Amino acid sequence: MILTKVSIDGVTKRFGEVVAVDRVSAGIEDGEFFALLGPSGCGKTTLLRIVAGFELPDSGKIYFGGEEMTDVPPNKRGTGMVFQNYALWPHMTVKENIEFGLKMRKMSNDERAKRVAHAVELLRLGGLEARSPLQLSGGQQQRVAVARALAIEPQILLMDEPLSNLDAKLRIETRTELRKIQRELGITVIYVTHDQEEAMSIADRIGIMNRGQLLQVGSPRETYLFPRSLFVADFIGQATWVQGNVSSKDEFVSVTTPVGSIRGKFAPGTDVDVGGKVIAVVRPEHLSLRPMDQANEIRVKVSALSYLGSVTRVFGQSTGLNLIADAEADASLSVGQDLALYFRPKDTLILASE
Amino acid sequence: MDGLSWVMLIAAIIFFTAFMLVPILSILYNAFIFNGQPSLRVFDLMLSDPYYFPLKAYVDSNFPFLHLDLRVRGSLFVFQGTDRLIFSGYDLGVILNSLQIALATSLLATVLGTCLAFIFARFSFRGKGALNMLIQVPLLFTPFVGAIGLRRMIHVDGVLNILLSDYLHILPFRIGLEGIVAVIAVQVLTFYPIAFLNSFNSIVNIDPTLEEQAENLGAHGFGLLRRVIFPLALPGIEAGAILTFILSLEDLGTPLVFQGTAAEKTLTYQIYSKMFSPIGDIRPEATVLALFLLMFSLVSFFLVRKYVSLRKYAMVSRGGTWKPRSQKATGWKSIVIYAFIFITLAFAMLPHIGVILLAFGDVWGATLLPVRLSLRNFTTAFSDPTVISALGNSLAYSGVATFIIAFLGTGAAYIVSRKDIPGKELFDTLVTMPMAVPGVVIAAGLFFTYIGNPFLSPLINPGPLLIFAFSVRRFPFTVRSSFAGLEQTHVSLEEAAINLGASRIRNFVSIVLALIFLNVLSGAMLSFIYSMSEVSTSLVIGSANPRYGPLTLKMLDVLYMLAGGPGVAAALGLLLMAMQAAAIGLSTMLSRQRATALVGV
Repeated sequence: MILTKVSIDGVTKRFGEVVAVDRVSAGIEDGEFFALLGPSGCGKTTLLRIVAGFELPDSGKIYFGGEEMTDVPPNKRGTGMVFQNYALWPHMTVKENIEFGLKMRKMSNDERAKRVAHAVELLRLGGLEARSPLQLSGGQQQRVAVARALAIEPQILLMDEPLSNLDAKLRIETRTELRKIQRELGITVIYVTHDQEEAMSIADRIGIMNRGQLLQVGSPRETYLFPRSLFVADFIGQATWVQGNVSSKDEFVSVTTPVGSIRGKFAPGTDVDVGGKVIAVVRPEHLSLRPMDQANEIRVKVSALSYLGSVTRVFGQSTGLNLIADAEADASLSVGQDLALYFRPKDTLILASE
Repeated sequence: MDGLSWVMLIAAIIFFTAFMLVPILSILYNAFIFNGQPSLRVFDLMLSDPYYFPLKAYVDSNFPFLHLDLRVRGSLFVFQGTDRLIFSGYDLGVILNSLQIALATSLLATVLGTCLAFIFARFSFRGKGALNMLIQVPLLFTPFVGAIGLRRMIHVDGVLNILLSDYLHILPFRIGLEGIVAVIAVQVLTFYPIAFLNSFNSIVNIDPTLEEQAENLGAHGFGLLRRVIFPLALPGIEAGAILTFILSLEDLGTPLVFQGTAAEKTLTYQIYSKMFSPIGDIRPEATVLALFLLMFSLVSFFLVRKYVSLRKYAMVSRGGTWKPRSQKATGWKSIVIYAFIFITLAFAMLPHIGVILLAFGDVWGATLLPVRLSLRNFTTAFSDPTVISALGNSLAYSGVATFIIAFLGTGAAYIVSRKDIPGKELFDTLVTMPMAVPGVVIAAGLFFTYIGNPFLSPLINPGPLLIFAFSVRRFPFTVRSSFAGLEQTHVSLEEAAINLGASRIRNFVSIVLALIFLNVLSGAMLSFIYSMSEVSTSLVIGSANPRYGPLTLKMLDVLYMLAGGPGVAAALGLLLMAMQAAAIGLSTMLSRQRATALVGV
């Protein structure tokens, strides 16, 4: 049976004129790694802080496992939280930092020692217990912050861009590690990030936010393959999009566009009448240099090329349209060259134009 | 908002209402009462009296109908005989005298302080650290004795004149400073470090890349200074200028020392000396003058808060390394720099040299140096039981006041820094306002409000009221210092504690206080030491029952009552100076950041 661990029910939060969180509802399941993804200022951190209890919603409710938490003060919610800047207390040692939450729970010395030892082992902090946080590297500080949040053995762990202050290589190592620890402990994680690659690689499900609204919730695969809006399509991965009008609907939808007729299929939950405005979206890996049966075709002039190692990314232009396609790494292409690109109707997603 | 914050907020508001707002309003109210009736008669009387105001307008039926009389007395300087040039200044009447003194002091102190700030911020030279400390020595401010020491040095028969005119024959005549000019001279030499610290802070806080960018685009030398550095530092320079303006306005000690000259015709002196009628009623003249004094200082206070904070440039830099810009002074530059600093120091140290000579001088007439040195002044001072008890009183009152300040001040700083409540701006204004409310006004207001109160009446024992007076007056030091600490402490450090289950009180004690402890301590130390050397409230409230009076009251007493009084007072002043030096040194060491409490508004 799947339990809803955290329920966010119609939450709205305004700061003056700005609607930071706009009627957001979501359920996060027990043991789930849930990423809140969106550009900066989209309201994801505010939503996390509402779950933690640091902000009170103007309307809407928060439930933990069916119990209402909306008005419970943050120190009584029992969540663990990892802050973007780690928020390690410089006047305490690593051990004292980790131990703090346990002292607040008035645990016995033995129990405290056991828990601290466990957290230290889990986060590979052995030997650093007596250090001041100021003497640690960024990666070590980050692990202390996680150890401190985990020491109280919370059922819900809240993380606010916990990896954004690490360098690229360490970021990737650490996220793998975090995912492993989360699986071992089986705790529920809400993880805020603006990095779509990070969200895709770490989360069971992703909630994509923009301008305070939660636009779509789904697994990384769902959100990538079946974005429900242009924003999601654009934010998750790269995409080319063409505006046009529906000309006919049968097995596939035909769309008249400035670059010719394009056939595709509606995204789930989308249906537009003939004549209506739509947008056709194609991922770079679905655009091919080789002709295919029944495929859409667009002729472009190559405007730029970037070699990414595994593929060569082709930027093409056609009447007012910018295309992104991935060609084989060793494809012999040159800037200024004319090119035909092919893509299958089943890989072409038709979204309603906003 | 949580319960703890409410308690801190309400406690501070009650405190300031009872011991600042009500007293001020009660005294101002009396300015508009004459013979028990609301009236502007006292204003009318005073504004038409040239003693208070020089401008008199009257209507005449002859042409031109409106006449304006400007009745200014005195002159900037006058020769006495052939060998004495006396500077005394124009007497514009009590109200404008204070204003002209404050304007001149502020202008001169700011020019001096800003020049020094540019030198110390942008050049490196041998002995810079030590000179930087010496330049700030006037912060060791001792009531009366500094001015007495300086008077001793610059008096027409003083050390400087004897030295330069009689011994070295550099000057063809002796130069004397008197009255208005003397007050300005003493105040400039006392207050320029405030201007210096404010300017210096704002110059070193300029992001070096802003200057580098300007140089990269072709600016250099004076053009760079004028177009980039000066405008960026201007808010801090202005804040310093207005602070010195306010300090000069509310200074009572200097006019007291120059009693008997035109220095008496200043607002603080007049309010102090005319406040109470022989039967203990407050005199309407004093309340009208208090209104003017309060108006001048509050207007400048609000100006600086609105205008300067609007223009305070948030440092928008992102990342990068912060490499302070400083060039080695060589050649003519270093000669100019050293000459400027040493001439400033020669004058700035005069009061302190004077105090030391006075304190250790046994017999000192119209000679260059005391005839004999001894510790007699110290033994006289400390064998007098009334001096000892006054010292004990001061320590006790200042100590208790410091506890009140630390307790309420940290809470107030916390609310201003962390809480987003409607009217926060107003609250912030309230807790920093004491720096703009002249001491004599607060003192008179407190005296007047609580004279009939069975617990606080200064007639029975001025102690409790003095404690509250000190607490109000020295509040901003601790608030500002704590606030600076809080601003450097990210709020997520507290949220992490609360997230882990800490209550508000627990969070405040083991996270907030633990993190900003040194800031609170360094602010509290300044609050303490400046309570010890507090003049205006000590004199006004303390004199209600001198038996329980503080040290500064006793010093004034000693100064005029005892034969050889100045020497004994100087000995006590030296003691205060040593305590201040220790406190400022310790405070700087603790917060590793000089004088956050002395900078800005």
